[in-house]
Amino acid sequence: MFSRPKFGWIASHPGKTAILVCLNTVLFLVFSATEISAQKRFSRTFPAGQNIRLQLINRSGTVTVEGWDRQEVSVTASLEAPTAVITPQTIDGTILINLVRDNQGREVGNVNFNIRVPVTSSVDIETLIGNLTVSNVRGGLVRAHISSEGDIELTNIAAFQVTAQNGIGDIFFDGEMLSGGNYRFASLRGNINLRIPFTSSFKLVATAPSTRNISLGSFSNGGMNYLGDGRRVVGKFGDGNSTLSVTNQRGSISFIRR
Amino acid sequence: MTCGDCQELLSRFIDGDLEQERSSIVIEHLAACAECTVMCDDLSAILVQCRENEVGEEIPPNPAALWRRINNLIESELPAEIPVEPERKGLFARGWNLTFSQAGAAVIAIALISSLLTIVGIRNYFAPPGDDLSKSNEPPSVFTRVLRKVGLAETPLQARERRYKEQEAAIDYWNKRVQTRRASWNARMSEAFDRNLFEIDQAVNDYTMILQNDPDDQLSEEMLDSALNEKMNLLRQFSEL
Repeated sequence: MFSRPKFGWIASHPGKTAILVCLNTVLFLVFSATEISAQKRFSRTFPAGQNIRLQLINRSGTVTVEGWDRQEVSVTASLEAPTAVITPQTIDGTILINLVRDNQGREVGNVNFNIRVPVTSSVDIETLIGNLTVSNVRGGLVRAHISSEGDIELTNIAAFQVTAQNGIGDIFFDGEMLSGGNYRFASLRGNINLRIPFTSSFKLVATAPSTRNISLGSFSNGGMNYLGDGRRVVGKFGDGNSTLSVTNQRGSISFIRR
Repeated sequence: MTCGDCQELLSRFIDGDLEQERSSIVIEHLAACAECTVMCDDLSAILVQCRENEVGEEIPPNPAALWRRINNLIESELPAEIPVEPERKGLFARGWNLTFSQAGAAVIAIALISSLLTIVGIRNYFAPPGDDLSKSNEPPSVFTRVLRKVGLAETPLQARERRYKEQEAAIDYWNKRVQTRRASWNARMSEAFDRNLFEIDQAVNDYTMILQNDPDDQLSEEMLDSALNEKMNLLRQFSEL
């Protein structure tokens, strides 16, 4: 009885096997190249006045905003596949980029933004997942909001209203607290570190109910009171000209002298 | 059609009162505008909720006729009604004819009560705002307790229960929306959402347990409120994907 040997065809056609291997390699390279080219770039520049406001609502990816001394807003983004639709709008002095609205009901990849704004701009950034970094901004408002996971880093900020809120992740603020300003930092789980000048003046309510880990550092004085078995610190530093509210549901709060 | 035009017609559109032609324009706009779609969904949900609540109420077969009959009955009986003064007893047996000492005592009592209320009011008004946030275990003021006793103010428990019911209703609503949209999320999005929801639920459980042992712990109550709001916001934001 004739029994066909395993891989008999390959053994009997060595030339054709080599061709097949080459074809597979070529196909693999072609598909890899498609994957690489799927990462697209978006770039656009907007003329801007002193009080321009940038409002960005991202789905996932990192967002970096930096203040510069030009009177224009530069938005560049790298888009991972499946690529998102980006349709910026300018309405009453606000540049609005809303990726949630523009891509509703679609699966899209990460969009990593790199944005330059005039130093005196107001910046309002929101994302569902991803790190947010804002630096060198001295406008009226800085707002950074992450609905779920991601770190927030705000450096060299001097704005009258600063809000940073995330779910799981750290918050770092390094900036000035202006007289009459309002500063709010809130996290679900992570570390909140605030680096501010010793000359700052604020009324403080800091709450860390789970860890009770509130370290005031150089800002500890007789005007600060620990309440609720150490879960909350309330008090005044300096003349108390600004308002500072810090809440970390399941993490720590630390003050660092700038 | 602009969003303003569409939103003006939404109520009639949902009720089915809109003409065919305008209805088609609204549908066309809703297909293209996410904001109006969300508003339409919200309005529909509110109307559904209202209709569900209406079911429990007893509706008379012909409310207009019934009301007319009641009205006629009241009108027919009014002239026949002879006002009967109740027999006065005690201090007011002679009407307002008080003796000099009684009137003096009444004036002093009124002055004392109004002074007390003024002092409490001024103290509450001028209390520094930070102090409100710091009240973690402080008992309520005498004024507040008096109002609660006479039923003019909600007790903390009543207020908390009412607020939780409202928050739970909102959470249920957004949760249903999340479940319908979740299929289109990628794995990373789903995992991040679940991790955050888990953290929030852990916090909610912690505060609920603390409040079961110490119902007057205002700080835990505040944190629980905050955690539930965060849950609501997380669900709402992910439901918009």
